[in-house]
Amino acid sequence: MHNAKCTCWNCPAINLAGKVDFRACGQSIRQFEKSPDSSQETYIMAECNRRPQLGLFDPMGITFADCPEWVESPYGYLLKNMRVMILGIDGYLGWTLALWLGSLSCKVSGIDNYSRRDCVKERGAHTVVPIARMTDRLRRAKEVLGINIDFREMDILDRENLREFIDEVRPEAIVHYAEFPSAPYSMIDVEHAIKVQHNNVIGTLGLLFAIRDLVPESSLIKLGTMGEYGTPLTGRPLFEGVFPADAVLEWDDRQWSMGGELTPRDPVSFYHVSKVQDTFNVYEACKYWWLRSYDVMQGVIYGVHTDQVAADPMLRTRLDLDECFGTIINRFVTQAVVGFPLTLYGAGEQTRGFIGLEDAMQCITRLIAKPPEPGQYGVVNQMSGYTSMRNLAEIVAKVGRQECGLDVKIQRVENPRVEADRHPFEPVFDKLPQEFGFVQADNPEEEIRRMFRLLTRPEIKQRIEEKKHLILPKVWWSGVKKEVEQIELLRQEKREPVEIVGISRSAKKARELAADVNPIQSS
Amino acid sequence: MRTVIIGLDGVPFDLLRDLAESGVMPNTASVIADGAFRKMLSSIPEVSSVAWSSMITGKNPGEHGIYGFTDLFPKSYNMRFPNYNDLKAQPFWERWPGKSVIINVPSTYPVRHMRGAHISGFVSVDMQKSVYPSALLAELEQMDYRLDVDSQRAHASMDLFLTDLDRTLDARIKCYRYLWDSENWKTFMLVFTGTDRLMHFLWDAYEDKDHKYHKLLLRHFEKIDDVIGEIADQMNDDDLLVMLSDHGFERLDQDVYVNYVLRDSGFLRFKDSHKITLNTIAPGTKAFALDPARIYLNCKDKYPCGTVTQDQREDILAELEELFGMLQLDGRKVISQMHRKEQTYSGPFSENAPDLVLIPAGGFNLKAKPNAPVLAEKDIFTGKHTQDSAFLIVRGFADDSCVPETPSISRVVSIIENCHN
Repeated sequence: MHNAKCTCWNCPAINLAGKVDFRACGQSIRQFEKSPDSSQETYIMAECNRRPQLGLFDPMGITFADCPEWVESPYGYLLKNMRVMILGIDGYLGWTLALWLGSLSCKVSGIDNYSRRDCVKERGAHTVVPIARMTDRLRRAKEVLGINIDFREMDILDRENLREFIDEVRPEAIVHYAEFPSAPYSMIDVEHAIKVQHNNVIGTLGLLFAIRDLVPESSLIKLGTMGEYGTPLTGRPLFEGVFPADAVLEWDDRQWSMGGELTPRDPVSFYHVSKVQDTFNVYEACKYWWLRSYDVMQGVIYGVHTDQVAADPMLRTRLDLDECFGTIINRFVTQAVVGFPLTLYGAGEQTRGFIGLEDAMQCITRLIAKPPEPGQYGVVNQMSGYTSMRNLAEIVAKVGRQECGLDVKIQRVENPRVEADRHPFEPVFDKLPQEFGFVQADNPEEEIRRMFRLLTRPEIKQRIEEKKHLILPKVWWSGVKKEVEQIELLRQEKREPVEIVGISRSAKKARELAADVNPIQSS
Repeated sequence: MRTVIIGLDGVPFDLLRDLAESGVMPNTASVIADGAFRKMLSSIPEVSSVAWSSMITGKNPGEHGIYGFTDLFPKSYNMRFPNYNDLKAQPFWERWPGKSVIINVPSTYPVRHMRGAHISGFVSVDMQKSVYPSALLAELEQMDYRLDVDSQRAHASMDLFLTDLDRTLDARIKCYRYLWDSENWKTFMLVFTGTDRLMHFLWDAYEDKDHKYHKLLLRHFEKIDDVIGEIADQMNDDDLLVMLSDHGFERLDQDVYVNYVLRDSGFLRFKDSHKITLNTIAPGTKAFALDPARIYLNCKDKYPCGTVTQDQREDILAELEELFGMLQLDGRKVISQMHRKEQTYSGPFSENAPDLVLIPAGGFNLKAKPNAPVLAEKDIFTGKHTQDSAFLIVRGFADDSCVPETPSISRVVSIIENCHN
């Protein structure tokens, strides 16, 4: 178990009650230093909210493996009936996670103001996989899966009610998905840019204060995006939030260690800017108030399947195709299903990280299971591989042809965004596999195959047909109002698409080094 | 007949006598003149949690179960901080008739139902769990009541610490006045703990009249003496006034680390030399120490890596006594007394007692500190506890023989009961 050696220091069920200094019979209540005193002159005192009979104790002693409140699960030790609050529980990820965690015996609660449904409707689109009303979803979750979800219709900006709900539930983990997740949506016009930034930045800021005041030991799992980093043309690796310990800056014949400093961010839309602002707000809150958070820099998400959402048509999660809310692989599959050429922007050589829906659920669960230490702002790059848009289109086309006998075409269109469409890309995504035990379960081709099987159902295909006119981008970063035009219809490739790169270069290097040291073991 | 008990945490017999005689504490001098003033033995070990637990229960640690500010969870090396819930014997206020007011007695957190009012003392981490009845909370908030001075402030600024100490004392005094008048009590107990903190940090200021903080230190005692005078004036002739400290104090020359000695001589081993904590104790360990100098044999079936059997116990204890008996620094013996479990503790909880407790010689302060890099060093603290120089004053009884010549802190309750009888 990846978290077996974690101690109460990591556990959100403790209350860090104070500090005691027996050298001078002194105590200091809620006046902590950043970390336990390594000199062992002073002690942090903790109380367990779940086992108050333990009294006050040193939180560094009891491990998850030793604690009866932490029980084994497929994703590490999990707190028994852990209280997890999902903000944005009605969304593509939020709903899927609610059922996923519910099936692991977590006590799931959540809020949503249905803004995703409203925004998609505003764009004239709809989810191509039909989803039920929340009341029906909740009822069906109970009937089919035996999962009770404590849901409140609520805007994250409604701070008073949010605080009340948090105080009532006392969540031990909070997964924050309650943000507008669309770059094009934020670039439509000034009103949309403000709407996105206001909701995302102010919503998160209010949440941080609520956590500080009500549940400071709860862990915050905050959804960021790989897009925060941009795609630096220097080819600099995209580290996981902060520079590694041995990173060095050289300038003017001098050197500085960069270890532990936040890496530069280079957002690529006003939406991405809001995510970067969140990053700094969360980072500062951890620093000022000893909050604990993982910022999840998620690659582009795709997929339709988890065992829970597939258990019943009314439990399905949404899937969008429009330019604002359809993510790239999901959109490609919908296009292929209705014979709409897959659209690459510009050269189509943009490279991105990707992660399947089921893998994303696994990652979030593993993060919940291994909460950060007090004051820790941790960042993970959550992706299971990376490749170019063009290669992705070719993979989708191949599966479409093989699975459904579809004649899938690929086209290049004008790029409405301001971005490099050819660039180096070296993401580091080692932490989840190395520190959290993440093992990729989704096979991209298999998941795409599953998507074809679902999306080619007549009733769903019909829903795609109805909205396929919304696929081509109309939102230009420049503000120009016009549809993109086709540059080129690519001829069908004879060659096989290359495999998605499923391992970070640093992990590969580590494996090679291990092989050098111990070739027998590696073979 | 009512009983009033005033505790001055850590104040040694000689210091109190000097302050009384020099005019800093004239009211205390009056009380001394009218009562029996004795040097008193503290608990073993001489720390407030054990001493006050012994005082309020009238029992030895083998009967009340508190051996220090720290202890270990059963069958583990995980540290816990025992509190009032761990006290296995009844405090006097649960046995004596009538209502009691109990203010700031260390190691009585979290409070529980009792007849009267109870505000716990160090270590108290949550105000809500420190005050009984909870209706008092609003009053205390108005008084700006503080459970304890924030001792960490002294590391940032002594002036800041002293200001906080003064405010804490002022609030404590307001609290005592309020409860003195508002409760119909039979027993009233008030402990001043700022005295202990002051002497940890500023014993040198007491000894050195030219010290920057000498006058401030005396001012703190003057303020307490004013309260003692105020209380004495309000007492009836047949009331009993008891004043005491839980342990004494003296100048601190050097801290000496017991676990360093155990490590250095092979009694204590760790799994990881880079992560030395009790949680990483390795098999092969024969003994380890908890603060201040409680040595536990690493017994088989008692600890995860325990190997010491009953047959080996005597030999290992003898080796430890020899080791510490010979320990010298700067030509001086470090240890003045060693107390074995069987000779020191009795009662149903003596099984949990340390196997050996060391009492340091003058000037040496013993600490456990598993990861100490050196045998001894000097910290910022200038004062340290002593075991044999606490004090006891009893005023308001007829028979002088009620108070033994050298009382011990666990006898105080029975002394009071004898006086009443």
